[in-house]
Amino acid sequence: MNASRILAIARRIAQGFRRDERTLGLMFVVPLVVTSLLGWVLRDTKDTTVRIEIVNSDQVVGARIVSALSGLAGDPANGIVIAGTVATKGEAIDQIKAGNADLALVIPTDLVATVTAGQRPTLTVITEGTEPGAEASQFGKLQKAVATLAGSLAPPGSTPALIPQITHETVYLSPGADQVDVLAPIFLGFFGYFFVFLLTGISFLRERIGGTLERLLATPVTRTEIVFGYSLGFGAFATIQVIVLTLFILNSISVPAIGPLPPFSIGLGVGSAGSPVLAFLIALLLSIGAVNLGIFLSTFARTELQVIQFIPLVIVPQGLLGGLLTPVNQLPDALNVIAHVLPLTYAIEGLREVMLKGADLSSRVVQTDILVLAGIAIFFIVLASTTIKREVA
Amino acid sequence: MSAAMAAPALAVEAIGLQKRFGEIQAVDGIDLALAPGRIYGLLGPNGSGKTTLIRLLTGLARATGGEARILGTKMPSRPMLAQIGYMPQAEAIYPDLSVGENLTFFARLEGKSDPAAIDRVLDLVELAGRKGTPALELSGGMRRRLSLACTLVHEPKVLFLDEPTVGVDPALRVQFWTHFRRLAAAGTTILVASHVMDEADRCDELVFVRNGKVIGRGTGAELRSNAGTDNLEAAFLILSGLDPEGRPLDGGAAA
Ligand SMILES: Nc1ncnc2c1ncn2[C@@H]1O[C@H](COP(=O)(O)OP(=O)(O)OP(=O)(O)O)[C@@H](O)[C@H]1O
Ligand SMILES: [Mg+2]
Repeated sequence: MNASRILAIARRIAQGFRRDERTLGLMFVVPLVVTSLLGWVLRDTKDTTVRIEIVNSDQVVGARIVSALSGLAGDPANGIVIAGTVATKGEAIDQIKAGNADLALVIPTDLVATVTAGQRPTLTVITEGTEPGAEASQFGKLQKAVATLAGSLAPPGSTPALIPQITHETVYLSPGADQVDVLAPIFLGFFGYFFVFLLTGISFLRERIGGTLERLLATPVTRTEIVFGYSLGFGAFATIQVIVLTLFILNSISVPAIGPLPPFSIGLGVGSAGSPVLAFLIALLLSIGAVNLGIFLSTFARTELQVIQFIPLVIVPQGLLGGLLTPVNQLPDALNVIAHVLPLTYAIEGLREVMLKGADLSSRVVQTDILVLAGIAIFFIVLASTTIKREVA
Repeated sequence: MSAAMAAPALAVEAIGLQKRFGEIQAVDGIDLALAPGRIYGLLGPNGSGKTTLIRLLTGLARATGGEARILGTKMPSRPMLAQIGYMPQAEAIYPDLSVGENLTFFARLEGKSDPAAIDRVLDLVELAGRKGTPALELSGGMRRRLSLACTLVHEPKVLFLDEPTVGVDPALRVQFWTHFRRLAAAGTTILVASHVMDEADRCDELVFVRNGKVIGRGTGAELRSNAGTDNLEAAFLILSGLDPEGRPLDGGAAA
C-alpha cells in the first residue's frame, strides 16, 4: 500500500468536485434546504383551532359542561371553540360533514347516573376519520380541555377527580421536544448516506465506462489503493457535509426582520444531549460504507441512469426500515431481521442514542452500533475491491 | 528472475499468446520477440486483435493460453507496470481535471512527481499554454495529445501506443515520430498499433495480424516485396485478403 497513490486518487476526486458546482450544491445545499423545509413543516404548521360540536342529550349536567367548555374556549391558548350545541349525534355528524365543526363531543344521557354510581363516565368523540394525524392533535386539545373540566363534570357530592389531571414528564429531552428534535438524527444519517452513495456510484461508473479505470490499472496502483483513495476523497466531502449539517441542525441563528421580510432563523436549534463529535463519527463510518457500496453497485450499472435506479432499491427501504417511519422494534419480525442487516438502522440508532439520550462511548448500544458500522464499512471495502479486476476481461 | 531481469535480451516477449472471448478467438497463438530500443508497428484490419494483444502484453487482460513477458518478467505483474506506458485506443483522461492535474495525477500513480517531467511532456505535445484548461474544453486532437503525454510522463522503458496519432494534425504527428525516435535511441521499446501507412513506414519492423494471428512480419520493404507490390497500402490490402479495390480475394493471404 502506497500512501501517495491513495492521496493522489483522493486529490483527483476533490479536484473534479471543485469544477462541479452543481454537485457541490447538491451535497451541501440540498440537505440544508430539505432539512429546514421539514423543520418548517413540522414545527410551524398552523395551529388551527378545533371547532367542537356538542351533542347534549343530558340536559342538566350537559348544560354545565357546555358552559364550562365555552369558558375555556374564551382563552385562545386552549385552541378550542364551540361550534354549536345539538341534541342528537346525527345532527352533529351533519355539522361535521358540512364542514362547520371538526369534531363532536357526545355527552351521554346516563352521565349523571354513571358518575353518581362512582363509575368512570364515557364521553364519545366523533371525528372525520380521514386524517388520523391531524385528528390526533385535535383530540389531544379536547382531552386537555376535558381534563381541566374534570372538577365541573363531577356533580356535587361525588368524588371530584374521576378524570385524573395529567401532567407530562419525559426521561429524555424536554416535554417541549418536537418532531424535529426527534427526527434530527435521522436526517443526519440519511443525508450522509444518500449523497455519498449516489456520487460515488456515478463517479466510479464513469471510471469504468470512460476507460480511466483500465488506464489506472495500467499503472502500479493496487485495487486496495483505489478503494482507499475513493473512501478518502469522498469521505472528506462526506465529512464536510456531515459537519455542515450537524452545525445546521444543532444551532440556530435568529435573523431580525429586514424591511418587508419577517424575522426568521437559520438552523434548527435542535438540542443534542450528547457529543456532536460522536454523532459525527457515526455518520462518517456510515458514509465510508456508502462510498464502497457505491463502487460495488456501479459494477451492475451501465449508465448513470441505472445508478439512479438503485435509489429505490438501496436507499428507500433503508429509510423505511431504519426508523424513519416506525421505530425498528415495532417492525414485523421479518422486517426487523432485514432492518438489522442495513447500515442505516445502526447509524440512526446510534445517532438517536447520542443526540437524544446523551449516550457516550461507554454505552453498550453506541459501542455495538459503531462496531457494526465499522464491520459493514470493512465488508463493503472488501466487496468493492473485489469488483475491480486488473485483468478486466 | 535473477539474471534475466538484470539484462533481458528482449523487451517484450509473447509465446503462443491466446485470448478467447466466448466464440471469438481474438488472439490466436501469437509469438513476439521485441528487442530493446526499437519501434514496432502493429498492423491489421479492424477487429484483428491488435488492442487485445496489447492488453494481454500489459497484463490488463488475462491470456487464455500462452504467456507474455515484459523485460523478462511474466505478465501480469504489477511492479512491472511502472516500466510500461500504455496509451489506450480511446483517450482515458479525466474531463473534469485540468491538463496539468491529469498529468500530475498519472505521474503520482506511477510514483513520479517531478514537475520538470510534466513540463517536458507538456512541451512535447504542445499543451504548455493549456496547463490550466479543463480537459473537457480541449479539442479532440488535443485530448489525444494529453492522453499521450499522460503515457509518457513517467518515462517508461516499454511503450504500447494504440493508434496514438488519430486526430493529431500532420505537423504534430511528424514531431511525435521524431520524439518516438529519440526515445527509441535512448533504449525505449515501442509497439505502435496503427492504421496509418506512412506511420507504419517509420517503424523498424512491422507485425501484421489478421483474425488474431500474425500473418506477416518484417520491415516495410520486406512486407511490400512479399506481397509483390511497391505500395504498403496495397500490401496491407493483399495481406488482409483483399484486392486493390478492397474486394475479397478468394485465396486469402500467405503468412
Ligand atoms: N471485452 C471483449 N469482450 C468480447 N469480445 C471482445 C472484447 N474485446 C475485444 N473483443 C473482440 O475481439 C476481437 C478483436 O478486437 P480488438 O479490439 O483487439 O481489435 P483491433 O485489432 O484492436 O481492432 P481496431 O482496429 O478496430 O481497433 C473483436 O472481434 C472484438 O469484438
Ligand atoms: Mg483496437
